[in-house]
Amino acid sequence: MQKFFLYSILIILYLGLAKALSPSEHGIQFLKNESQFSKLLKGKNLTVILVDTHATGFLIKTYYQKLRVISDYENVDEMILRTNKEFAKKNKDFIGLSIYRKTSETEEFLPLPPGSLYVDNPKYGIWKTNKKGLTYWSFHKTYKNFPKYLGWGKFKLTKDFHQQMKNSISLNQPFYGLQNEFGSNGSITQKNFPHFFAQDRKKKTDLRALILQYLKENF
Amino acid sequence: MAEIFDRLLIRILLAGFVCLMIYLYRYAHVIFYPTVKRQVLKKISPTENPADTLHLFSRLIGISIIFSSISFNEASGVMLSLFHFGVWGSIAIVLYLLSLFIIESIVFYNFDYTDEILKRKNMSYAFISFCHSIVIAYLTRTVMMEAENSLIILLVLWLYMLVIVGFSVKYFTFISKLTFNRLLIQKNLSLCFSYGGFTLGSGFIIASCFDQEHYDITVFCIQVLLKTVLSLIIFPIFKKGIVRIFPIRIGDSRSHATEIDSQMQGLGYGFYEGSIFISAAILTTMIVNRIQFGTIYPFF
Repeated sequence: MQKFFLYSILIILYLGLAKALSPSEHGIQFLKNESQFSKLLKGKNLTVILVDTHATGFLIKTYYQKLRVISDYENVDEMILRTNKEFAKKNKDFIGLSIYRKTSETEEFLPLPPGSLYVDNPKYGIWKTNKKGLTYWSFHKTYKNFPKYLGWGKFKLTKDFHQQMKNSISLNQPFYGLQNEFGSNGSITQKNFPHFFAQDRKKKTDLRALILQYLKENF
Repeated sequence: MAEIFDRLLIRILLAGFVCLMIYLYRYAHVIFYPTVKRQVLKKISPTENPADTLHLFSRLIGISIIFSSISFNEASGVMLSLFHFGVWGSIAIVLYLLSLFIIESIVFYNFDYTDEILKRKNMSYAFISFCHSIVIAYLTRTVMMEAENSLIILLVLWLYMLVIVGFSVKYFTFISKLTFNRLLIQKNLSLCFSYGGFTLGSGFIIASCFDQEHYDITVFCIQVLLKTVLSLIIFPIFKKGIVRIFPIRIGDSRSHATEIDSQMQGLGYGFYEGSIFISAAILTTMIVNRIQFGTIYPFF
């Protein structure tokens, strides 16, 4: 009994020391849920885009999410946060979407296409109409790189798109685009966040194929 | 041809210099063991006292192990290389003998070298001392290699190593059924094999904890500490596991405690415990050092 007690103390000591002293434990903050964003992110007029999600561990999983934080004046930063299973699961379809937005007055948590915070705000751009009569959002020159940061690529956000987005907001439903262009299954997201959708990331483990490949490579 | 001959001469010269350093060591040995002055400085008679021979020459093996970690760089000049070897060799001798002195003061706190080796010719004591010499030499070598010619780092790591070894030798009483002091007085060989296995095993573990890349001394020390604690967690699993896989029988169900005790003092039990300690320690180093968990960053 005494030995068991000592052994338990040893395990607790190891876990405590590893947690407190291990360099790998430093620098990655824990995000329990979206309500904690405001504690982690300082500044206003910022939007948070979910760029990547990853789980490590064999029996006990640890979930990581990579976020792109865009704030005023083209201040772009990428950060990796540790999170819990529920939050990671909840966000699995929201790759490429803005999952958090903050202005000086409000906070929004509804998953929306990236840039929803800036569209229709004259501070960031104007609505333009092209020769075909299509009205689309154009950022000011100061924010000319925003489409790249937001993962739009060559996508042009139209008035219809904006209207539908507003409808979804009023219904408190996530919006993935008129033809589901954004989100984990969206074509624009897949094109502009290729790292997450790379083939080797999606590969499912087939034990037989894995063993055959191992034998082929080693013998 | 001339160049090859020159290189051969350099090698012979260096070999001679190493012999000179060993000669120096012979005198340094006397500083820590003044009672052996007569034996060491005169001709040694190995057959007269095998325990003393084992005790003395185990140190020689140890210092050879440490010297093997010092490298010559002929490109920087032969004289400079000799000077480098002279400096680091002297440091190695001092650290090695000091380590042995401290560790043996902890382990043999109840025993005296003169009584056990010179008067009683205690082979068990000599063999335990032999194991200490080898393990301390191996660890000092590891620490010297990790220090990468930095004296400050060497001193820090050496002290750190000494603390860990000091604690580890006390661990024997927790995991062995043999009573150290009582059996050592009885010159019991079972104890020396069991303790020898334990010392070599713990040496493997500690050396493997120190054997890692380092960029920052603080982070390195933290990693060593974590690996040491982890080894303390893993080692009992292997020890218990091996004991379960290879169960032994000591006496029968009707045997008295004294009979069981006397069987445990047999040579076989010492081999058994020693082997378990070494194999469990080697397997522990595998679990602690050879598992690569990777990093999340390639994915991100």
